[in-house]
Amino acid sequence: MRKPYQPPDSAISADQLARLAELLRLEISEDDLKALSDQLRVIDALEAAELRDMPPILKMDADWHD
Amino acid sequence: MTDTRSLINMSISEAAAALRRGETTSVALTEAILVRIKETEPTLQAYATLPLDRVLAAAERADRELEAGRDRGPLHGIPIGVKDNCYTKGILTEVGSKAMQGFVPDYDATVVRKLYAAGAILIGKTRCHEWSCGGSEPPTRTPWDLERFPGGSSIGSGVALTARSAYGAIGTDTGGSIRIPASINNLVGMKATYGRVSAYGVLPLAWSLDHVGPLTRTVRDNAFMLGAIAGHDPNDANSARVKVPDFAAGIDHGVRDTRIGIDRDYFMYPGVVDSVRAVTEAVIADLARLGADIIEVSLPELALTRETLITIRMVESASYHRHRIREKGHLYSPGTRATLQMGEVVLATQYVAALRARERFRSAMKHLFRREKLDALIAPTIPVPAPLLEDVWQPRDDMANGETPTAGFVHHVYPANLSGQPAISAPGGFTPEGLPVGYQLLGKPFDEATLYRIAYAYEQTSDWRRRQPPQVYE
Repeated sequence: MRKPYQPPDSAISADQLARLAELLRLEISEDDLKALSDQLRVIDALEAAELRDMPPILKMDADWHD
Repeated sequence: MTDTRSLINMSISEAAAALRRGETTSVALTEAILVRIKETEPTLQAYATLPLDRVLAAAERADRELEAGRDRGPLHGIPIGVKDNCYTKGILTEVGSKAMQGFVPDYDATVVRKLYAAGAILIGKTRCHEWSCGGSEPPTRTPWDLERFPGGSSIGSGVALTARSAYGAIGTDTGGSIRIPASINNLVGMKATYGRVSAYGVLPLAWSLDHVGPLTRTVRDNAFMLGAIAGHDPNDANSARVKVPDFAAGIDHGVRDTRIGIDRDYFMYPGVVDSVRAVTEAVIADLARLGADIIEVSLPELALTRETLITIRMVESASYHRHRIREKGHLYSPGTRATLQMGEVVLATQYVAALRARERFRSAMKHLFRREKLDALIAPTIPVPAPLLEDVWQPRDDMANGETPTAGFVHHVYPANLSGQPAISAPGGFTPEGLPVGYQLLGKPFDEATLYRIAYAYEQTSDWRRRQPPQVYE
């Protein structure tokens, strides 16, 4: 019997970031990667909860009072 | 003729008026600034490059033009500093980086071209943090306290002005780099609306967050400088096609019935120290006394700004630097290299999520302004006065969450970079120890004139702008 589909965790751990950094041959400290992982978890959570109808546009309107 | 001390202490407006009354000349102003540079530079190191071979010739040209009746406006004949991330034809442009050592551009950034067209004298290239972010500290010091953080990344622009070794200066602001040095050095700094000032020829940190703008000692001077450098530029795809008003017209019309919002939950959070809180409350009270309506508001989306901006900044910085770092990575300081590379491990989907979060924040900010019919939001520019250099990256003793002073800066300055709305920092007072404290106004897109009008009204009630730092370098 096939196992039920297990969705991957959208968040990326500091360890996974470290592996990626190593593949790209980047010198980034463990502390920096931990901070980055925490930062990206916030973005991931935000995306899942609050950004469904929000496309990436940055248009500067001059008419905030119309 | 006026003596050197009087000349260097003039504002741009005063110097411009003296020039037109025939009481001084551009050559005299420039010579006075050069004397001042000689006095202050050994200690303060505001400048990366001083094109001494050309400044007096430029000043002579400016004088000849004025004599012949060709008046280019309030910056005509005025010595101005330009941050060293702006291309200057024939003049070194090194952006604080060994990787750029010896680089001499063959064209001018649009902001520089516009300054020349306005008759300004480019007195020198002001120091900045490495690549305008920097994991290394330049040798620049503020005369307000040589042991304290002088602001950044437009570090030399702020220090040159407070030392009186320029009348105005250009800075850039991706995450507060105009407003932070303005606050720390008792100056006026304007990060205008995204796209208001061309970024063509300015070495980027993050394209969608970078802003170019003026630092000055008075609000009116700042309005003059923005008027000279603003405007659509076909060379910059992000440049806005919006009319440039006379920012100084109506600057003295007061603040009666102006609606100014304050989100105390966010901008007066526990990280704001008592001295900064007191200064900000005093500014708010004075604006209310002048007739402004102060409105208590709440914008919970402000909490999105830190992670969102840093994600965007990281990825755009990494995109710009990834090839150069692979060629010249050894010429980056290790901290800067890590900061500029980190965005390479952010997934594309996470970058897009951050762009979407920015839109969410910008939309919430827009609706707040509409709903409350606001003209501006007010806040401290930064929650602490200039920290000691050794403490800049250390957790604060008074913050249980281990927040560093720089993380506190971010809390207050990032929102306007993320939304792209204009934001000005202006002198608000001093701590009991004598350190400057700035306050910040965030406005509606392309409505910098209202921010100038509010800041000017407050400026007239105080003498903060006339206070000078200790003369530690004499």
